[in-house]
Amino acid sequence: MNSPTGQPAERWTRSAVWRAQHRIAANDSWRKLLHRPVATGLVWLVVAISLALPSALLLTVANLRPIVPDLARSAQLSVMLDREADRASAEAVQGQIENWSQIDAVRLVSREQALSEFGEQTGLATLLASLDRNPLPHTLRVLPRLPAHDSALNHLIGELESLPNVTRVVADTRWMSRLEETLVAGERWVLALGGAMILGAILALANTLHLAIDARREEILVVRVIGGSPAFVRRPFLYTGLYFGVGGGVLAALMLWALSLWLTGPVNALFLLYDSPGQLQGPGLVYPLALILLGAIIGWLVSWAAAEHYFRQLETR
Amino acid sequence: MIEFERVSRRFGDLDALRHLNLKIDQGEMAFITGHSGAGKSTLLRLLLLLDRPSSGEIRVKGELTSAIRSHRVPRYRRRFGVVFQDHRLLFDRSVHDNVALPLVIAGFSPRESARRVRAALDKVGLLAQESVNPATLSGGEQQRVGIARAVVARPEFLIADEPTGNLDPQLSSEIMALFEAFNQVGVTVLVATHDLSLISQFRHRIVTLSSGRLASAETP
Repeated sequence: MNSPTGQPAERWTRSAVWRAQHRIAANDSWRKLLHRPVATGLVWLVVAISLALPSALLLTVANLRPIVPDLARSAQLSVMLDREADRASAEAVQGQIENWSQIDAVRLVSREQALSEFGEQTGLATLLASLDRNPLPHTLRVLPRLPAHDSALNHLIGELESLPNVTRVVADTRWMSRLEETLVAGERWVLALGGAMILGAILALANTLHLAIDARREEILVVRVIGGSPAFVRRPFLYTGLYFGVGGGVLAALMLWALSLWLTGPVNALFLLYDSPGQLQGPGLVYPLALILLGAIIGWLVSWAAAEHYFRQLETR
Repeated sequence: MIEFERVSRRFGDLDALRHLNLKIDQGEMAFITGHSGAGKSTLLRLLLLLDRPSSGEIRVKGELTSAIRSHRVPRYRRRFGVVFQDHRLLFDRSVHDNVALPLVIAGFSPRESARRVRAALDKVGLLAQESVNPATLSGGEQQRVGIARAVVARPEFLIADEPTGNLDPQLSSEIMALFEAFNQVGVTVLVATHDLSLISQFRHRIVTLSSGRLASAETP
């Protein structure tokens, strides 16, 4: 005890000290968490749900997105011809527009065909047969090459309507725009909900970490007096926050995987029923990794902020 | 050497310290006494930079403490060993880990740390209790663990705030004798206490504070 010196003899290099102190803090914090498994599990669950729910919704939107172009392709136009126009003039119109650049395909549905299809679909065949003349005109089914919501479609409709022998062009594209807008609104709703959920997770974490810090108040005060730096005091809590965040992220990833496994069967069956070649797009690797990273970042930042706030209160007391 | 130059500390209307001039020599042992509220604790808190004076200057080995930037404060505090009245041991870890805390902070290797902890515990006569939880020890033993923690990193200064406040006279004398032993190997020791009968047994300077002022600083 006779060398009152500030520079002790056998000291490690700075980086070795830093690593050792990190290892000690990391192990201590981990042990403390395992010491209270129920409380720790609950925090993980809160973080996991807050992360899993918005990402599940995001995944839903991501699954819906690729279906929309498929639906858009079915947005065909029905070009009704003049009831007096005969089949030859119908074919003339077909030949005229077939080569337009905005048009993908044109199919002629003759009035006879249309009548029998209508009869089959409605079961009114006998009734229709009793009519003395076919009330239906020849129709051209036009598949446009444009996106359904594009204003170019309206332009195309205008051009088609100005053709001779064309009475009316029917295009039910409004539902397409509606679907599109619904998806955009849905996405925003998911983002807002996700933000709120994550904010909730942050607040829950902040509160938990504040309690964890407060539980070690005595230790903090002692360490401060005997020369522990703020970084040293903060370190175990940063690890606690990190473990909460990463644990929550891992649990959220598992939840997402479980959910998608559970849904794969029925959703793929649904795709099949709608003749869509699509399949349920699972969380893959990107979602779990993003969840764990997000959890880690949130846990680390929140514990940093909670510790800073606590120590500032301590200093000003 | 520790110098207080016209140091005042005001809390609102209350003067905890008023124009205090005091010099503690290197290697000296001194008692700081006075009634509760006389400013003993304030003096120690100012010295440890747990508080800053309202006016005046404190120098430690010629260095102005007011010039120490906040990120240098932890390193400054490591030059002091501190013993608290309520010893402030951490009951979530063993005696060994309590004593090792300053070494963990200072960054000693585990081997060197273990060696020093055992040496310090040996000095206070508690080597056999190394691995027990301090909560199982008596008050006097807990205080000795506190002292081992204060000296384990071989500080330049040993500061004690009412270290015998909760102990009977017999134990109190033992604790003071321990401080004296550390002083004899060159550590500057500053003990705040109101136990006049205890400190009269020792031949060290007694600094008496009264209402934040220096009442007397007698050298026996």
